[in-house]
Amino acid sequence: MPKNKVVPIEEAMSRIKSGMSIAVGGFIGQGDPLTLIDHLKTMDVKDLTIYENDAGYRERGVVELVRLGKIKKVVASHVGTTPYIGKAMNEGTLEVEVVPQGTLAERMRSGGAGLGGFLTPTGIGTTYGESREQIEVDGRTYLLEKALKCDIAIVRAHRGDTWGNLMYRGTSRNFNVPAAMCADYVIAEVENLYTLGELDPEAVHTAGIFVDAVVRANIDYCVLREEAYHNG
Amino acid sequence: MADDLKQIIAARAGRELKDGQIINLGIGLPTLIANHVPAGVDVIIQTENGAIGVGPQPDPGCEDRDRANAGNQPISLLAGGSYFDSCTSFAMIRGGHLDATFLGTLQVDGEGNIANYMVPGKMLAGMGGAMDLITGAKIVHIVTEHCAKDGTPKLMKACTFPLTGAKECDVIITERALFRRHPDKGFVLEEVAAGHTLDDIAACTDMAYVVADDVKLDAFGE
Repeated sequence: MPKNKVVPIEEAMSRIKSGMSIAVGGFIGQGDPLTLIDHLKTMDVKDLTIYENDAGYRERGVVELVRLGKIKKVVASHVGTTPYIGKAMNEGTLEVEVVPQGTLAERMRSGGAGLGGFLTPTGIGTTYGESREQIEVDGRTYLLEKALKCDIAIVRAHRGDTWGNLMYRGTSRNFNVPAAMCADYVIAEVENLYTLGELDPEAVHTAGIFVDAVVRANIDYCVLREEAYHNG
Repeated sequence: MADDLKQIIAARAGRELKDGQIINLGIGLPTLIANHVPAGVDVIIQTENGAIGVGPQPDPGCEDRDRANAGNQPISLLAGGSYFDSCTSFAMIRGGHLDATFLGTLQVDGEGNIANYMVPGKMLAGMGGAMDLITGAKIVHIVTEHCAKDGTPKLMKACTFPLTGAKECDVIITERALFRRHPDKGFVLEEVAAGHTLDDIAACTDMAYVVADDVKLDAFGE
């Protein structure tokens, strides 16, 4: 019988230590694991490096950890939805690296899939691309993008079972899938927890093999989306 | 940008759509193009955060907490639509499965180079999905106000900001004109909007272009 991975949030999150790299699922608030981020706010850790599509939405998400001085560097495709990130960068308190969105997602997937990296046409002929090795295959030039492997990943699913099989809802799936693949220790917060056999095996998005710890969400995500939709 | 200018650009861009095309619209002005799809034309809209078959914005109170586009606006999903993760989304985008994309820009030049993600020394936003979209979509449309806020041309001799994509722009649509890039001639001025002359366009465009033999004046923007 597959192991029950449901643990108290303190136990799962105690794996996070200063200086670690953390992959974070979500997309400007859609699918962001805010229960886990809220807990991280209370922990005595610093110098974390975050790999995420963005840094949250307005004042919610990883940007809160930046405000608290816990983050050394953010690697993202876009940080325009959290103005504080630009401010922190300009003040020199935060390092920011931007990478193409598809490249970040595929780097995570590659890290989890045992690959060394992949070849992409994205970025050829740009300043960004100059920092990558170029490789020609069958007459077309590609950039070599290396796989990403993180110490920790934190993700959020709408439904999950005790082994960590996960199902996302709507556009909340996004980076949660590749993030859940790329880390040594993967923590999933689930809004609805099921016993084994209750989830339709045909409809599981992330198989439990990728997940190490399951934690119950304690946030009302309906209220948060209302705010995102109606405040501009 | 004034709303009426945005609508002029979005309306003209809408007329570029062909029945059956699968398209991705950037955040802001490009999103408005969804309201200007010509009658009799059906397009399928993909949003890079993970959905295809995007329908009209739901009425207030009918939004779904987990149905939003890449600009965080609530969306509906049409019959036949689906959701997917970011790796799959960019497999569609990079893999050549999108017929067209429409994006805004800071600068574009006569070689088809696009610079739309950072102004050096100023605030950094990031390229998001733009670099992948510009590389992967079959037709790349730039939809933009003709000049920057300070009045300087956005259609440059050569881009000075870091490029998002090299030699990828196929069509430029502004509130004043439409240019289409030809493999041998470079950008060709095909249409001039109402209220503008060929001389006006020349005066506010640094980018190299040729005027089409059959250039249309008063072509749009009435």
